[in-house]
Amino acid sequence: MLQRLVPFLLIATMVAFAVAPVLILRAPYESTMGLVQKIFYFHAPAGIVMFLAAFVCGINSARFLFRRSVRADHLALAAAELTVLLGTIVLVTGPLWARKAWGVWWTWDPRLTLSLLLWMMFGAYLLVRRYGGPGAEKLAAAVGIFGMCNVPFVYISVNVWRTLHPKTTVVPSLGPGLREPFWFCVVAFLLLFTLLLALRVRLAEQQAALDARYLELADRAPASAPGAVS
Amino acid sequence: MTRLLATFALLTALVGGPVWAAQPAAAQPPAATDEFVPVGDLPPEEQLPAAPLLVGAYAFMWVAVLVYVGMLWRRLGAVQRDLEALRRSQPR
Repeated sequence: MLQRLVPFLLIATMVAFAVAPVLILRAPYESTMGLVQKIFYFHAPAGIVMFLAAFVCGINSARFLFRRSVRADHLALAAAELTVLLGTIVLVTGPLWARKAWGVWWTWDPRLTLSLLLWMMFGAYLLVRRYGGPGAEKLAAAVGIFGMCNVPFVYISVNVWRTLHPKTTVVPSLGPGLREPFWFCVVAFLLLFTLLLALRVRLAEQQAALDARYLELADRAPASAPGAVS
Repeated sequence: MTRLLATFALLTALVGGPVWAAQPAAAQPPAATDEFVPVGDLPPEEQLPAAPLLVGAYAFMWVAVLVYVGMLWRRLGAVQRDLEALRRSQPR
């Protein structure tokens, strides 16, 4: 199903990311931050979709652990990679905004620190998958579930602790002119996420098919080899 | 060896991050404002233009996505080539 949508998703994503800069340029300047606030239109949607990616990874990790669904494992791996990609975008664009708005590149604020922790957890997921050896999928799945559990803390951190970071109330209170480009960018990032997820799942499926072929060959080899003892 | 290096890098990041975070902040929070200063009178290092930061943020986002898509494309191509080669080499 997801694979059949790839051509549509590719076109829709390209159109959305071609239109987004026009809408962002036309959006009015925010009163206190001016031009640099326009980083918000890519930074916040990337953060929202990063949360979604972490949930997709966590839910599918649980499905893999408790139901042994191979498809869920492929989805979890793909979503973990995208969480790291989107997290990298969030953690780099945020400090570029902060430098102008707060006067510092980085501060150990709860939102920033928890976001970094989330990124590191999904980085750990990928490291376990890559270097964990046999059974690494199950260990990584546990990391994925814990990573997902971190998401609500990242989200509410700005409301619970004293922080420099804008609160979650900023998005619902966006006025006309600021609201439209923001939600358009959220849709663009959702399309990009779905497209990359479909492609990454396809890669995982192809790799699984290749591994199965190699195993099949290895099973056949001793019987067909000349001089083999049966 | 690679696994050992990866484990070492992960441990360094996990231990080094909090240690670095625990260091006293070099820059103190700014004092309360007691006068307004025209922006032109600020020293050059404080007159930070927003445009390069904005362009840098958007450029980084694009570079990150394109690098990831390129890696995905290369890996998909390699796996498909291997699958094709295996199919051709296996008699039916």
